[in-house]
Amino acid sequence: MKSIVRRATVVTAAMSTGLVLAACGAGDSSGTDDGPVQLTFQALAFQPESIEANKEIIEQWNADHPDIQVEYLQGDWASVQDQLVTAFEGGTAPDLVHYESSYLQDFADRGWLLDLTDMISDEMKDDIRDGAWDAVTFDDSVYAVPFLLDAQVIFANKALLDQAGIEVPAPDDPWTWDEFAEISRKLTDADTYGVAWTLKDPANRILNLALNFGGEFFTESDGASEVVFGDAEKEVLQRIHDQLYVDQSAAPEAIGMGGSDPLPGFFDGQYALLPKGIWFRQQIMDQAPEGFEWVTIPALKGESQTQAAAPQTVSIAAETEHPEEAMAFLEYLLNAENQATLAKGDWMIPASEGAAENEVLTETPDWPVAAASGAILEQAPFQTVRGYEEWKNKVANPAIEEFFANSLSMDDLGSKLVDEGNAILERYQR
Amino acid sequence: MTSTRTPTVRPPAPEPTAAQPRRTFLGLNREALFLAVPALIPVVIFSLYPLLRGIYLGFTDARAGRDLEFSFTGLDNYATMLGDSYFWESFRIGLVWAFGVTILQFFASLGLALLLNQRIRMRWLARTLAIVPWAMPQVVIGIMWRLVYHPNAGILNSVLKDLGVIDSNVEWLTSLSLALPAVIVVGVWAGMPQTTVVLLAGLQSVRTELVEAAAVDGANAWQRFRAVTWPALRPVAFAMTTLDFIWNFNSFGLVYVLTQGGPGGATRLPLLFAYEEAFRYGNYAYAAALGNAMVIVMAVFVVLYLRRRLKEAD
Amino acid sequence: MRVLRSLSTPGKYVALIAYLVFLAFPLLWLLSTALKTPPEIARIEPTIIPENPTLENFRVAFEQQPIARALLNTVVVAGTSALITVVLSIPAAYVMARYRSAVSRLTMLWVLLSQLFPFILVIIPLFLVLRNAGLYDTQLGLIIVYVVWSMPFALWMLRSYVSGIPVELEEAAAIDGAGKLRALREVVAPLLVPGVVAAAMFAFVSAWNEFLFALVLLRTPELQTISLTLVKFIGADGVARLGPLAAAALVATIPSLVFFAIIQRRLVGGLLGGAVKS
Repeated sequence: MKSIVRRATVVTAAMSTGLVLAACGAGDSSGTDDGPVQLTFQALAFQPESIEANKEIIEQWNADHPDIQVEYLQGDWASVQDQLVTAFEGGTAPDLVHYESSYLQDFADRGWLLDLTDMISDEMKDDIRDGAWDAVTFDDSVYAVPFLLDAQVIFANKALLDQAGIEVPAPDDPWTWDEFAEISRKLTDADTYGVAWTLKDPANRILNLALNFGGEFFTESDGASEVVFGDAEKEVLQRIHDQLYVDQSAAPEAIGMGGSDPLPGFFDGQYALLPKGIWFRQQIMDQAPEGFEWVTIPALKGESQTQAAAPQTVSIAAETEHPEEAMAFLEYLLNAENQATLAKGDWMIPASEGAAENEVLTETPDWPVAAASGAILEQAPFQTVRGYEEWKNKVANPAIEEFFANSLSMDDLGSKLVDEGNAILERYQR
Repeated sequence: MTSTRTPTVRPPAPEPTAAQPRRTFLGLNREALFLAVPALIPVVIFSLYPLLRGIYLGFTDARAGRDLEFSFTGLDNYATMLGDSYFWESFRIGLVWAFGVTILQFFASLGLALLLNQRIRMRWLARTLAIVPWAMPQVVIGIMWRLVYHPNAGILNSVLKDLGVIDSNVEWLTSLSLALPAVIVVGVWAGMPQTTVVLLAGLQSVRTELVEAAAVDGANAWQRFRAVTWPALRPVAFAMTTLDFIWNFNSFGLVYVLTQGGPGGATRLPLLFAYEEAFRYGNYAYAAALGNAMVIVMAVFVVLYLRRRLKEAD
Repeated sequence: MRVLRSLSTPGKYVALIAYLVFLAFPLLWLLSTALKTPPEIARIEPTIIPENPTLENFRVAFEQQPIARALLNTVVVAGTSALITVVLSIPAAYVMARYRSAVSRLTMLWVLLSQLFPFILVIIPLFLVLRNAGLYDTQLGLIIVYVVWSMPFALWMLRSYVSGIPVELEEAAAIDGAGKLRALREVVAPLLVPGVVAAAMFAFVSAWNEFLFALVLLRTPELQTISLTLVKFIGADGVARLGPLAAAALVATIPSLVFFAIIQRRLVGGLLGGAVKS
């Protein structure tokens, strides 16, 4: 009991301090006039290597800048949305926030993010590739600095490829979707499926790949977006569906999988090809049994290899009291050298072109494939559609899942995506 | 004791038995107020405002945003809700989930509580092991059950195949028809310890000598349960199933970790739906309206269910 | 209690073991996973007994996240919440069960309503209240939330228990010359023990496992509770570092189990029967 009483006293003291601070109009992240400026940076680093990289960068910064001290906070992907929404509503958001481009527009519209357009140095502007900048620019305003990019590639079981006499394509001569279908059939036998499409929450993935055939899913006229569903949009959907139900070269049990679910089957030789994001290299390296040989196959080519650039980003909270200092730290955090370290930590592609040359990265396995994937990333129409998130979660993900489970026809899928989708988008255009 | 032969433990007449107090406040004398007030203060301060605020938001057009103004819109949100097919679908799923979990959980827990109440060897160990699901954090439960249900590397399929129950792997969490039953099983599993512990505590108010007397009179186990155990357990059982129902209807965390509402929306519970409205789309008003509607629906069920009990209490 | 006497003793044990296997197998699974290397975890046919058992996951878990600190924080928060909940609830539940009054009825209504209203919809207003009270980033704020959250259940449970205690018992004690408070202490309180234990466990465990509110309220890493620490082993797209996660989860599960193993004796019956006989 005694300790509780003591706690209560301490906390009462803390409470009154808090009230005084609030009365002075100072937020939670404030420094006083005399002390150094205190900034908080919430990162979503997850791999030990990338957590370490973040911490080292911050330590170095703090040592070099005694008047601007940065505190590292570790967030997590699973709950970051809830946490940020509440923190922004409550005025307790970290000064710098790591997240991804697809949420930026909503956050910016709500007035939560600082417009960085005029704060970013020319050096940084030049260093980071244009496709990545496009993904964080809305109505000509830049709301984040992009740094980590992903691209859809295919991982292959090397032994099974060799056995079937299939060559690994060079990054500048990728497989076409037709060749891919043919090879998947060839790799399929009694024990093995040619490919394992993991299609849990498939909308992002499908919209990405649909760009290969020019499928854009949205058109814009007079600033209002509409869903479209024509032959270009159907192409990839139909091809994957055929692999599942016509060729039977795709594993039916894999369609509900996400994350690292397909790995046991992949390692066991049940799946020869595994389409995934480039970051998945790390998962395979980490968990592969000894002697398991694998290789990264470059992104497939339809009419083009184009995929959407959806970078991870760092933004500055609109409510921050030290925007200049926060920007100064951000410039340092995401300079070419640090981006290379961070990209290596998460096994992704840096948005910085300078970083992509860094030997920290060029030494990682199958780097040429990753580097080549960086070049095919562009901004896609769906990324600037207001209400895309709601359309994706509410309509597209469930409907596409039903389509791949063969319980929804292509036409019904189309009318769902379009009719129900447009009803949602309309609400955002008011 | 005159009541020895009437096994129903009736709540006593709730009139204060002490001498009538001189001054009362809302029917409570000073002594009673002194006992009740400490509990009420924090409840009122820290839940009254948020609750009223939440209810009010359901009648406005509030959205996420910095310093955003919002206005009263009356029943607009509810009109939208009536025409929202996604809402109705999730509402149907919510009812299946809440009734399924609550009923299965109650019977499973009752059986376990009766077993744990017996004189058995290592009872302390059995009781401790029985609350394992309760002691595990939800994220871990979700991940663990995903692995159990994993189509080709999961324990469940491999055990069922060994037993010859199934020939080929079953996609528990990703088949449109099996996903909801599969998450209901996890819901029952996760909620059993709490219900069991409460029922076990409730069993302590069963009078041993009554059971013994009934046994001497030649009553069989079922008759003894009906005549002696159940009447004593009933108030607790009613309270617990009511709360379980409410909690189950309101819960979505576990399902969220397991399936995120998929596949094809087959496990999108109403509160998961409301959660997405609020935290993903920033639609606070509509989310609050969904919440209000759910409260009314649950209140109807609860009142219907408890009507008899409430009458007794009056 | 010999309701199940007709069920033969071996039958009883078989049923009990079936229940326990169903409920407790995760503990075994956690232990097994915590001792495995990543490649072994990703094997197509998982075995319960690891081939190359290793303590590496525990080392990694403790080294990369402040597990011990988080456990201590959680014990403090959950223990304090449980204690306060029970202490405040017992007298209030007694009043609600024994007095017919508007306050009792309003409180019961309140108890129900507060449970009916989904937590996610009050979380933002509640968060604002706590922030304005200067309780952001404090464990006291968290404790208050947990107490307020657990109390309705505790009140309702305890009220049921008080109602189940024949009022004649109290009267008899009063006739014997005991004062009202003494009657409460000596007659009612012992009979309430199982209910109090159930309520305390509920408060403790809900605080122990709560995640969402702790997530938004606590920012300082040194204050964070164990469920916040566990999710740090989960990454984007549902990818988890299963080994360290299992190791940390095992460590996080044990204290609740120990707590229960200690207090479960208090759930043992016979008290009421004895009192009635005397």
